[in-house]
Amino acid sequence: MRWIALQARTLEGDAMLGPSEVPSMAVHHIASLALAFTPRVAVVDEAVVMDVTASLRLFGGLHRLLQLLLARLALFFESNQCLVQVNHACGATSLIAIGKLREPASQRAGELPMHTLSAARPHLGVLERTGCRTWDDLLALPRDGVARRFGAGLLAALDCARGAVPDRYDWLVLPEQFEEKHELDALVTHGPALMAGVEQLLVGLQAWLLGRQRGLCALNIIWHLDKRRDVPPTGSLVVRTDQPAQDLRHIKALIAEHLAQQKLAAPVHSLTLQSLVTEPLVDAAAATAPLLIEDRQHGGSALELVERLSARLGPDKVCVWQPSADHRPEAMQQWLPAKNGLNGIDAIKSIASQAVNTWASGIKIIKNKPFSPASPKNALKNALQGARTDALYPSWLLPQPMALRSVGNSPVYQGRLQRLAGPQRMESCGWWMASDAAPHLPGQPPQRARPPAIRDYFIYRSEQGALLWIYSERLAADDAAACASLQRAWFLHGFFA
Amino acid sequence: MSVPFDSPSPLVRCTGALDIASVWRASELSGESLHTLDTGYPALNRELPGGGWPQGAMVEVLQPQAGQHEWGLLAPVLASLQAGGTPARGARAWLALVGAPSSPFGPALRARHISMQRLLCIAPQPEPGIAPALLWATREALQCADVAAVLAWLPEARSAHLRRLQIAAQTHNKLLFVFRPLRAQHESSPAPLRLLLQGHIGASASGGGANVQVHVLKRRGPLLATPVSLDTRLERLSALLAASREGVRQRRQSLGVPALPVAAPALFAAAFSNPLRTNAHALDRTASAHA
Repeated sequence: MRWIALQARTLEGDAMLGPSEVPSMAVHHIASLALAFTPRVAVVDEAVVMDVTASLRLFGGLHRLLQLLLARLALFFESNQCLVQVNHACGATSLIAIGKLREPASQRAGELPMHTLSAARPHLGVLERTGCRTWDDLLALPRDGVARRFGAGLLAALDCARGAVPDRYDWLVLPEQFEEKHELDALVTHGPALMAGVEQLLVGLQAWLLGRQRGLCALNIIWHLDKRRDVPPTGSLVVRTDQPAQDLRHIKALIAEHLAQQKLAAPVHSLTLQSLVTEPLVDAAAATAPLLIEDRQHGGSALELVERLSARLGPDKVCVWQPSADHRPEAMQQWLPAKNGLNGIDAIKSIASQAVNTWASGIKIIKNKPFSPASPKNALKNALQGARTDALYPSWLLPQPMALRSVGNSPVYQGRLQRLAGPQRMESCGWWMASDAAPHLPGQPPQRARPPAIRDYFIYRSEQGALLWIYSERLAADDAAACASLQRAWFLHGFFA
Repeated sequence: MSVPFDSPSPLVRCTGALDIASVWRASELSGESLHTLDTGYPALNRELPGGGWPQGAMVEVLQPQAGQHEWGLLAPVLASLQAGGTPARGARAWLALVGAPSSPFGPALRARHISMQRLLCIAPQPEPGIAPALLWATREALQCADVAAVLAWLPEARSAHLRRLQIAAQTHNKLLFVFRPLRAQHESSPAPLRLLLQGHIGASASGGGANVQVHVLKRRGPLLATPVSLDTRLERLSALLAASREGVRQRRQSLGVPALPVAAPALFAAAFSNPLRTNAHALDRTASAHA
């Protein structure tokens, strides 16, 4: 049997913290973190005891387990700016572990002084006068005499300490869902000021996550408004992240961004934090790695960046690229909100890598067998052809073509322009325009139904030396004769940067 | 102090004898201590301290107009960053574009070997009032571990703001390019490298000549009097331009119109001296026929 006893102590010299309050919260957090190592955790008097007998093999021995536990505790308290020191002691039974925690100097369990046994505390005076100073001395006394003089409780505790009787504790269990309420010190009227209260709740949430070995995906913050106002009694905010996280710094930043934009209808007196969605961190390495939190010190991932930026700037301001199969330049690509788009892109990436792999294997086949079917070869050829025509597109595309003034029959943009190449004709009229006019994608604004048009693209050079992609729009062939006398309309569509 | 840089002053002799790596003499390009990335243009590499774009420092690029010539200048280094040394590093090398003047066109950038799947466009075509948010977004992007390079268009940024960005780039060792208008030329800047990027119409502009001039306004080294001329166009585009110009010339000749005044002979030579360019592709021929 192996037991570990842990005790929280405030660091020396912090007179600001109340002596009783901080350790009570800290004991709770320590117990939560300890639950990640064994389900047998209990709070006994001032200490947290944990039975790690069954966990030793998984964590590679007592020494490794203890190292991991203490490192995680230290990191937890440090990252949450709690000035708490954790003392620990090991023993064969829970009472020995507690005794050693109270009296670190003694080597053997039998040498532990009498006051380290909680059950002996009411009788310390008598024991002292009868010459019982250590546990050994008490054990040497006759059992029935001890039971008559000090009651059965001391004898039971003694048996428990010797390991003759198994320990019975109310084992701690963490709830399935985290929910905690926090009374604010003062009424809060500004959204960002709620952050202080949220931070206190997040400490508990993180301890809960570490104990249950889960990562947080979504949480709900509820603020309770002053009841005297004529407003709904609560307001709430749901914050989600794509990557299950135990390190809550990213979540904290997201909450701060959301709260900064929050308008409170009335003063807030208390806050509730609920975990909505959590996912088990099944990866054994992730669950046992001691530096889970330190691993990401160098900065967040792209996903975190996207979420943070989207929270402040708005989701539509952070975009990723998506190609679409169309030959009209403005429809060849879409910029999707990155918050939703990133997952899709990962899928695309995997598909693309698969395609590349099959492609590569296809090439290999060609190399091996010169008379293989020509389809991969054609694909290769098409791809190369595509790359060639791609090179003739401008690298900046104006989201809306810009109408240009024209002098004579040529366009003007910041001075005279010189035509270098063109025309490249592009027809955007045809049977597909009908489907274009209708709102074909739900959730997207219907595209403007334009009259069918033919465009001639030219490459012009401005006086400043920039290459411009300019098109002239003509009406469809029927009207061409009618409009031949009119001037062409010129539009700037892109820059060759 | 009117001592010419060439004359061996006592200090120079002293450092030469001691050979202190961290001492940088103003007459030379510094660079031993810098970690740099190849620009893809040998002519530019020669003029930059350390022989390339400095990693972990801000590069300030001044332009008469935003949205011109950037991709040509930066595409080689961005593509090599994304190709990455190891696949794992390359797969995480995102590019962040903050406040881009218009939207990048995917097919064209793919032709420049930039992976569009790892390009994050933050606040494109920004409204005027969003400047503080742009600075914040730039700093956030620099702090992200997955982002390899940040391109930021910050027309309203001031020197103090840029200093914070420079520090962020330094601490996170990122490639940072900040594009600013020409009027910033006379403000002080914390960037160790300042460039002025201008379009250039050379004698043989549509052929193989340079289309961009890079003035090095500030570097760790002596002043550079003459700008560096680069041809940043893709070869296909240059070939198309040359071919269409040649088509115009031929048609004029057949009509009996005198040839174009200045550029044509040089252009002709440029177009046909390079066998790569004259092996014109099918598309070029149709284009020249149309033109």
